[in-house]
Amino acid sequence: MFNLKKYRKKSPWILHYNAGSCNGCDIEILASLSPKYDLERFGVINTGNPKQSDIFLVTGPVTYRSRERLIELYTQMPTPKVVIALGSCTCTGGVFRDMYNVEDGIDRYIPVDIYVPGCAVTPELIIDGLIKALEILENKTKEIEDAKKLYAQPTDKEGVLDLTKSALKVDKNEKS
Amino acid sequence: MQIVNILADLNISYTFSHSTHLVICLLDLVLLFYFAWQGFKHKQNRVTFLAFTQIVLYGAFLYLSPRFQGVDLLSDELSKIMYFVINIVGGSIVLYALTYINSEPFEKAKKFSFIAILIFFLGVMNLIVTANNIELFFFLFELTTLCSYLLIRYREDDVAIENALRALWMNQVGGVAILLALITSVVYYNTIYFDQLLEVLDPHFLLPVVFLVIAAYVKGASFPFHNWLLGAMVAPTPVSAILHSATMVKIAPFIVLKLSPSFSPLLSTTIAMFGAFVFVGASLMALNRDFFKEILGLSTIALLSLMISLAALGSEQAREAALILLVFHAISKALLFLQAGILEKIYHLKNISEIDTLTNRAPRTLFFILIGFASLTLPPFGAFVSKFLAIEALTKSMLKTPVEVFVLLSLIIGSVLLVILYFKIITKLLSTRAFTQASKEKLPLLYKISSNILFTALVLGVFLLNFLSTLEVLIPLVLIFLIPVLLKRMDFKDAPRVKEYNCGEKGVFEVGMFNYTLNKKYLKSMIYLSVVFMAWHLVVGVL
Amino acid sequence: MVEFVLIFLAPVFGGLLHGLQRVLSARMQNRQGPPLLQPFYDMYKLIDKRAFIIHPMHIVWALLHFISLWVVVGLLILGQNLLYVIFIHLLASIFLILAGFSVRSVYSHLGANRELLAMLAYEPIYILMATGFYILNGTYDVGLIRQEDTQILSMFFLFLAFLITMPLKLKRSPFDACEAHQEIVGGVEIEYSGIYFEFLYMAKWLEYVFVYLLLLLFGGNSIVLGSILFVGVFLLINLVDNSTARVNMAQTLKIIMWLGLSLSLINILGLSYV
Repeated sequence: MFNLKKYRKKSPWILHYNAGSCNGCDIEILASLSPKYDLERFGVINTGNPKQSDIFLVTGPVTYRSRERLIELYTQMPTPKVVIALGSCTCTGGVFRDMYNVEDGIDRYIPVDIYVPGCAVTPELIIDGLIKALEILENKTKEIEDAKKLYAQPTDKEGVLDLTKSALKVDKNEKS
Repeated sequence: MQIVNILADLNISYTFSHSTHLVICLLDLVLLFYFAWQGFKHKQNRVTFLAFTQIVLYGAFLYLSPRFQGVDLLSDELSKIMYFVINIVGGSIVLYALTYINSEPFEKAKKFSFIAILIFFLGVMNLIVTANNIELFFFLFELTTLCSYLLIRYREDDVAIENALRALWMNQVGGVAILLALITSVVYYNTIYFDQLLEVLDPHFLLPVVFLVIAAYVKGASFPFHNWLLGAMVAPTPVSAILHSATMVKIAPFIVLKLSPSFSPLLSTTIAMFGAFVFVGASLMALNRDFFKEILGLSTIALLSLMISLAALGSEQAREAALILLVFHAISKALLFLQAGILEKIYHLKNISEIDTLTNRAPRTLFFILIGFASLTLPPFGAFVSKFLAIEALTKSMLKTPVEVFVLLSLIIGSVLLVILYFKIITKLLSTRAFTQASKEKLPLLYKISSNILFTALVLGVFLLNFLSTLEVLIPLVLIFLIPVLLKRMDFKDAPRVKEYNCGEKGVFEVGMFNYTLNKKYLKSMIYLSVVFMAWHLVVGVL
Repeated sequence: MVEFVLIFLAPVFGGLLHGLQRVLSARMQNRQGPPLLQPFYDMYKLIDKRAFIIHPMHIVWALLHFISLWVVVGLLILGQNLLYVIFIHLLASIFLILAGFSVRSVYSHLGANRELLAMLAYEPIYILMATGFYILNGTYDVGLIRQEDTQILSMFFLFLAFLITMPLKLKRSPFDACEAHQEIVGGVEIEYSGIYFEFLYMAKWLEYVFVYLLLLLFGGNSIVLGSILFVGVFLLINLVDNSTARVNMAQTLKIIMWLGLSLSLINILGLSYV
């Protein structure tokens, strides 16, 4: 009848979360919402509410305190949803890679659809990433996603996520 | 109103014989000595002093009064409407009290005496709205004070006795006022009957009327007499429901309605402005209270002063508004007090801040509380119709007396304050956690029957008022009755349930109400202003 | 007959108004802004999302709020009694407040408490406005008021008081503390998602239609004056929105009650004496 899916890309509402970044990428996101780069012409509204947003914009390499909140916010977003990792820190850890206090990027915890590099990421790249994300969003389904196996997770013997350990120090020979 | 047509054949017109008059005098004096003895026993000087003042004034009245000729009991349209209120609302509350008093820890004789005093009180109320003889009215007024005193001190602990004595001395001020009204009426107008007084009244000497209105202020707990009603909330809940919201305090607007055709314009404006002032003041005072029955008591004071204010305006529409508000306020407040009693007895909740949520354990009680609050503020219920009529009546009377715009302003602001007061309580009652199930509520049969009778009266009463057109009544009624219908039919089976959003934090959210506390000096100045207003009433009576 | 078509299309008009206002805000800020039909794109997208709910009672209150607000707009278009319409609007607002209180969420309660307080600001001014119309016309009937000549000069101060309450009802700066996005994350709307959020979104559009219909009452029977008022006030509200910051609830109440009520009182006293 009426193809509702094409309207998903006409009204992307974003949720922006800072998972421990230096705020550089956050400033660039706010700059892209300002009159010079104007994300609102795509219908973007910066809602602060996961229940009403489609696109999860994350910045920052994941610090220990932000891990649980990251996953909680991700699960509180209704499907279909897209995750965009903004900035080099979020993609791979950036300048903080292999440090003792960060997990190198969010793709150890939630499935990421678009990686946008840069330190800090420029507004033009943010707009590019957003447009690509909209095309991915159009093809997603409304079903609740199955559990995916991401990068090696630190688990104990029963397979429960061990939040005191970092994902980096996982023994590669351990069964996970 | 159509109710009057049902009772159209009931016309009472009766004169007591001389010996009955003597018996009434004797019983009156016995009563006043009993009050004096109570004051002496508990070492409350005010009670004794006022009782002796009343005995002296009564003696003076008996000395001054020759034999009078007139009808002692006379029923008119106003009293017929009051019969409806007293008997149906009072009857439901007595049914409720039968189960309520069973759960109190007293011996059988004391429990029987409770019900006996309640039924005796209903009889006194029926007589008091039929009384045409002001002396008989005084006797019955003091009898209601006696019932109030006995029932407030029912539980016999220190708090109860203290509050009962405070109610006693404040109500006796009303008795003194009625006696002064009697004496001035005898001296100046040479009559003690209401109907004869209203005919011969001279607009330049209205002191009898003014004293009767002051007695109404005392009974209706306007400022500065509000403390007795608030203190009386320690009594068992059926007492609060019958005496202090639905029936006894309705004597106040009843008297003003009876006397209002005879007010001079200046007195009418004065009473209207005072009533409006108390309406806003009492609503503001209630915004920081925690004890549920105290909140209901303060809103009773507010709405009673609104009724007095509207009744005093004099125009036909304003009197009709006051009468409709009287009837429907009695039903709604009785329903609310019954639910407060259920919360107290079955769930052991007295203060609002103790209530966690009622949707899981008490859905029926919650629904009745919501309907009770809605019926006092929202369309299509009776109190809303009366506010509608009142705004229209005030606009018309404002064109003659522009200073009454303040009455209109107080009516509007006070109504919004009452809406805020009622619905902020819902914060604690309604907030339901995610992932919880409602359970069936088990209530004793008489609790259910009494609440159902009052609820049916509320809804049917909407159709008996012929002010709004049928469509205008049906639209909000359908919207309100969609609530339970939609709740039962729709349960959204295919939407997954989640918990509330808290920015990802794991803290627990304790629900709280917001409070607004009036500055102490504003409260003091309100009390002083009310005393000044009372004095101005007396001045206006002789202008 | 025309009126029933208008009532049926009221949400559509509201959506167009909302979209127009977003475009206008954007152009005032020297940027392009979303397309005009953006609210309808939002609506289609929300229908297509999976909805999460907390419990059914929460959704029922929102549904009732939307239905009663549509009924209010319908009654106003049909030309019923103005005072009655204002009180049914009170019923609709109470449904929203009950929706806010019915979940155990911090921001929902904050938003509902603020909505309740906001009622103290705009209800008296609306009822005084109805009183002003009654004094001038002898009736509360909206149909009859619309057929009179424009009365905006005799009701000028009441018109100003009404303008002061407009940002509060339209949820724009400086009085948008009730639904402060990013401060209390939308207040009452926070726990709604998917199509159930769509009901609250459409209720916001209907609120726009309600307020602008009340504004058109000041124009009387002159279509030219009505259009000038509509366009002028629309631009003014957007200008004020873009140039002022949000004030908190206590200040909102103080400003609106002191300014609005005194202006209304002066006007009503003037009308009674003259």
